[in-house]
Amino acid sequence: MNCHKFQEVLPYIIETGGDAEEEGHLQTCPHCAELVQDLKYIATQAKLLLPMHDPSPRVWTGIAQALHHQGTIPEGRTSLRGQIMSFPSQAKSWTPMGWALVAVFLMVFSLLLINYRPHLPESQSSAQNMSAQPVALESDDQQLMARVSQRAPDVRQAYEDSLREVNTYITDAQQAVDQDPEDAVAREQLLDAYQQKEMLYEMATARTLP
Amino acid sequence: MQKLTLKAGIGMMVALGTAGSLALANDMRSETRLDIAPGGTINVLNSAGSVSLHSGSGHQVLVVATSHSIKIEIDQDTTPDKKRVEILTHAKPEQKPTTEEARVDFEIAVPAGISVIVNTATAPITVDGLSGEMISLSADTGQISVHNVSKAHVHIRSVAAPVTLSAISGGHVEITTAGGAVQLTNVSGPLVNVGTAGGNITFQGDLSGGGAYTLTTHSGAIDVTLPETASFDLSARSVSGAVQNDFPLQQKAHTSFVAKPGSSFTGTSLSGSCSVELQSFSGRIRVKKQ
Repeated sequence: MNCHKFQEVLPYIIETGGDAEEEGHLQTCPHCAELVQDLKYIATQAKLLLPMHDPSPRVWTGIAQALHHQGTIPEGRTSLRGQIMSFPSQAKSWTPMGWALVAVFLMVFSLLLINYRPHLPESQSSAQNMSAQPVALESDDQQLMARVSQRAPDVRQAYEDSLREVNTYITDAQQAVDQDPEDAVAREQLLDAYQQKEMLYEMATARTLP
Repeated sequence: MQKLTLKAGIGMMVALGTAGSLALANDMRSETRLDIAPGGTINVLNSAGSVSLHSGSGHQVLVVATSHSIKIEIDQDTTPDKKRVEILTHAKPEQKPTTEEARVDFEIAVPAGISVIVNTATAPITVDGLSGEMISLSADTGQISVHNVSKAHVHIRSVAAPVTLSAISGGHVEITTAGGAVQLTNVSGPLVNVGTAGGNITFQGDLSGGGAYTLTTHSGAIDVTLPETASFDLSARSVSGAVQNDFPLQQKAHTSFVAKPGSSFTGTSLSGSCSVELQSFSGRIRVKKQ
């Protein structure tokens, strides 16, 4: 089993621990092990938000159907539903805040699963091995460059170089935060990197220099 | 052969003289005095050329402008309440000046207590001896220099413009630049904050008067030179760059990160009256004695 296949069945693994093959991959791949650990951490934290309340089976059924519909859970993998449906129903009443917290958690969790791009081992990198090459310009950056296209060539070049530098900064800082979410310095640097990008956008768009 | 050389030399001198005269003929110098109320603000917008501001007297702003093409117009105006003076350059309708033609050089004398806001693209900005509450400077690539300013908030933003500050005290200093190098000499205040993505940061001063200093760069180097008597609480970290420190530091009981030899250090020198944070990703950090 490779990382890609493993991450395709991640929701199932989170719930059940996976089968022997998946368990074996988890033992040998630090990257996937870290990912599973992160997801379990999120799930644990979410539970802490709602110590007194569990949603009704109707909610879990809806989630499972949505995940099936999106193809996040492959056909034949019914454990999520099975596990969920086996939860005992609770007679406790739900507060609006409780519903809101569950909804937020589910949105974050779903987005994480949907948007997650598998990182294969050969492309793994760390903050210690930061991007040596500048990060490519994003589509928004291309629009920004179009906006400064009328300026002097050296100014345009300065914007392009700066955008690449700031994008690299954001990537590196994000990696550092991902590696250690408790790292206050890394979080500050990520904020600083985004502020620099914000500044570039403001300077390119807000002023009306002739 | 000698005659030929002599003739060629004379010809070149004549050509250069003619070109110089034509260039001078195109230069237009204007001098304007604009009333401004105490505590008012001057707003300057100039793409190319230069902007130089220095201290003036009375309640008038003296603007000396030199333009180099008739394709450029200079607007200078005061609001009815005299709280704001606007100075801006723009191309005349239907004109498309070249970069060279768009240049306007400003010499502006600023009365005491007046704030300034300056935006340029390639024009360098020089500020000397101002005393307004706020000095806000922004340039794409034009060098920014600020000297001899006290008790003013100095806010600087640049895309790739190098930034040089000296003899600044008593106010907030905030510098954000993506690619420009930042050089600070004898800069002190309650808050000094420098952030750059690719530029180097150089700091030389005594950290007098307490305050919080944060110097952050992504790939640039940070060089800090302090006197042996400086009192500071220091934390420095470079993710992949080397760190060096010449000061004997007392270890801190609590830090925001786990110090690793060679890539980070924390500690206190003397009573630690200033907070100094130095952060880089791939650049080296060095703290040395003066």
